[in-house]
Amino acid sequence: MIVDAIIANIEWLALIVIGGVLISWSVHFVPVGGAPAAMAQATGIGTGTVQLAAGAGLTGLISAGYMMNVIDNLPLILASGAIGAMIMISVTMIVGTLVYVYGVGCVPASAKVKFDPLTGDRQDLYVSQGTEGHGLPTVCFVSGVIGGGLGGIGGSLIYYALMKVGIAATSAMTSDVVGLVAIFAVGIFFVNAVIPSYNIGGTIEGFHDPKWKKWPKAVVSSFVATIFCALVAVVAISQLGGL
Amino acid sequence: MEPLIGMGVLALMGVAATIAGASEDLESDVGSQSNPNSQVQLAPQMMFPHRIYNKAVSGEPPSNALMSAIGATCAVVFMDVFSLSPLFALVLGAFIAACIHGTFAITSVMGRSASQQRFKQPVYMDIIRSHTPVIMGYAFITTFCILVISYLLNVVLGHPFPLPLLAFIWGITVGAIGSSTGDVHYGAEREFQQFEFGAGLNASNSGNIVRKAESGLRNGYDNSWFCAKFGGPVTGIAFGMTVFLGNWITTVFDPVRGLGWLSVVAGALIVLILIIWNRKIEVTARKAFGPYKEDKVEEEATA
Amino acid sequence: MSAGGAGEEATSSYSPQTMMGIGIIGGLVGIYLGALLSPTHPVLSFLGGIGAICAIVWGADAVRRVASYGLGTGVPSIGMIALGMGIVASLFGLSIGGSFAGPIVAFISAATIGAIIGLLANKVIGMGIPIMEQAMVEIAGAGSLVIIGLCTVITGTFEYSAVIENVVAPGYIAMIFIFGGMGILHPFNANLGPDEKQDRTLSVAIEKGALALVVAGIASAINEGLEAAFVTALIGVIIWYLAFKKYFEFVKRDAHKVVGTGMLPTEEELQ
Repeated sequence: MIVDAIIANIEWLALIVIGGVLISWSVHFVPVGGAPAAMAQATGIGTGTVQLAAGAGLTGLISAGYMMNVIDNLPLILASGAIGAMIMISVTMIVGTLVYVYGVGCVPASAKVKFDPLTGDRQDLYVSQGTEGHGLPTVCFVSGVIGGGLGGIGGSLIYYALMKVGIAATSAMTSDVVGLVAIFAVGIFFVNAVIPSYNIGGTIEGFHDPKWKKWPKAVVSSFVATIFCALVAVVAISQLGGL
Repeated sequence: MEPLIGMGVLALMGVAATIAGASEDLESDVGSQSNPNSQVQLAPQMMFPHRIYNKAVSGEPPSNALMSAIGATCAVVFMDVFSLSPLFALVLGAFIAACIHGTFAITSVMGRSASQQRFKQPVYMDIIRSHTPVIMGYAFITTFCILVISYLLNVVLGHPFPLPLLAFIWGITVGAIGSSTGDVHYGAEREFQQFEFGAGLNASNSGNIVRKAESGLRNGYDNSWFCAKFGGPVTGIAFGMTVFLGNWITTVFDPVRGLGWLSVVAGALIVLILIIWNRKIEVTARKAFGPYKEDKVEEEATA
Repeated sequence: MSAGGAGEEATSSYSPQTMMGIGIIGGLVGIYLGALLSPTHPVLSFLGGIGAICAIVWGADAVRRVASYGLGTGVPSIGMIALGMGIVASLFGLSIGGSFAGPIVAFISAATIGAIIGLLANKVIGMGIPIMEQAMVEIAGAGSLVIIGLCTVITGTFEYSAVIENVVAPGYIAMIFIFGGMGILHPFNANLGPDEKQDRTLSVAIEKGALALVVAGIASAINEGLEAAFVTALIGVIIWYLAFKKYFEFVKRDAHKVVGTGMLPTEEELQ
């Protein structure tokens, strides 16, 4: 019975695992400085990796959930999930910039690179004394948008795949299916948001940060972890059919 | 649904979100929560005992998600079992959530201070008695507004997720936004006002937070008074924009009418505008503030 | 978010084995008693909540041991990952475990996934925390017992169909998810510091577990009726009061001093 459920849903399983891997990868793009960034002591957004990735990704999940309710079109659902997350994270970053520039009075600057790879601006001169950069230079902002988008796609992919499993099991989009699928998507999202944040030690500036190169470790870990989460999730959802 | 009604609901959600964002940030300032609190936590160790509420209730996203989920759960029960009107049920749910949040705040301020016994940080009961009701008050406003957003999204706009789950997700989002935006104003500026404006916190000054107020010793009230002028309102704008813009694109370009891809394009345009805006601010700041250090290599070259 | 612990092993007066015993045995007994007795009287489903409190205490102790090593990111992260996999594993366990083995299957599958993530964290990511594997097993296992315990309070049974219909579909599961996570991570996070004491931390775990019981009790009104909801919430409030009183005593015992109001300690005092 369990094996049947897994074999019947093997393609959705693969999509869930891809989604988990995408989330894990996306966290490496999000420029978070952790606690030091809240004191303008490190470049990036002044909050924890998990929290910001979850905030963006789950906002994307709300958009994707709404879209999936009215339309069954995978690319569109993924795109709306990505856009929801990207809007959330870019609004957060633009307001963060306002606070850093006008509230704290410091120039956005990265301490990890001498020149901004996107704009070519000199960075090291603009880092104030005793800090490791502050604020969100353009490269961090763009990296964050990419991260938000990937996280949104990952979350929506998991939601879409689990939803397909649920619809196949019960042949309808009942509130049971939606509730179960949504909380599973949230749970798997958190697993894949925490694993990379342990990998990067809580802070990263974006794709130009040397730490970014560590992503294969987190992605492999998330790949393995998501396979197990996906297996049990698919079985649990397909059991809905027997109720 | 009529497009006009959709826009009206959307406007209401945006307003509620703006209030929620502002009160969320002030709640975390008056109690000192999340990342800036690491300095309040560090201060006694650096020989700076203080009279600031040390509200270490995890990060802001989980704590706000908890309040919102509790509030939504209770509101659903009150609506179903007692057939209360939604408005009344949401208020009662938010009230219970605020009370439970109060216990989280009290246990963390007492626990953190007691765990700093060797640094001689006292537990000030008057701080706990006076600040906890304020924290609960802000928590109530935040939770109520999140519940209004979730309720409108669920009932009027027809979102399929159940109410507590929507409230949970918006709670995570408002916490993530609050700790990323408004908290910086508290952490980088208000806690360290004794150091020159216009720079990040020098690592050697870590823990040396301002402990004296305009009169007397500084406490959370003084911090929220300051942050209410900038950090709180901009947090409100951020959360309001997230909720409003995120839903605006699907309300105007309704996917039901086959305009789904247009909504994606509109969203991408918004993101692009924000990237350009950020670049503009960056360039302005670089020009206006200038570099902190001289370029040594260039100096040598010209000399 | 906090910066984490001091990077060394935590000192405890109750051994990890004792806490594990309390968590597993107390948790499972509470859940089974709650489910078996609640058909006789719906009020008795609160026993599931007692099981959940035992599991929260155990989970909080495990968080305390692992977070003392410093995680690199805040204490909350470990609670969120544990509950994230706990919720998937719990519902899986209930779905295939049938009407009797559900909680046990859920517990074992949560612990298994926890072991896998713990192994990945140490071997692939290289966190180098010696007790990471064991702690992940414990926290995920405790998380699954908390989830099932609170589900039992709300529905009076842990049968899959009832849990889906009464807990998952109305969304209460989101409240259980976050309250279970906060119950497990908050006690250590709230008492973080060099002079943290195990008994004080665990008294907060009981206090938070009791509040989870109160909210689950309120949510049970729909299935179990008003009387059961009221009694469950009342029991929760009583446990909360007792635990909070005990906690305050511990605070007065451990703190430098508890004062009504006063100035900051003077320079001489700080020497």
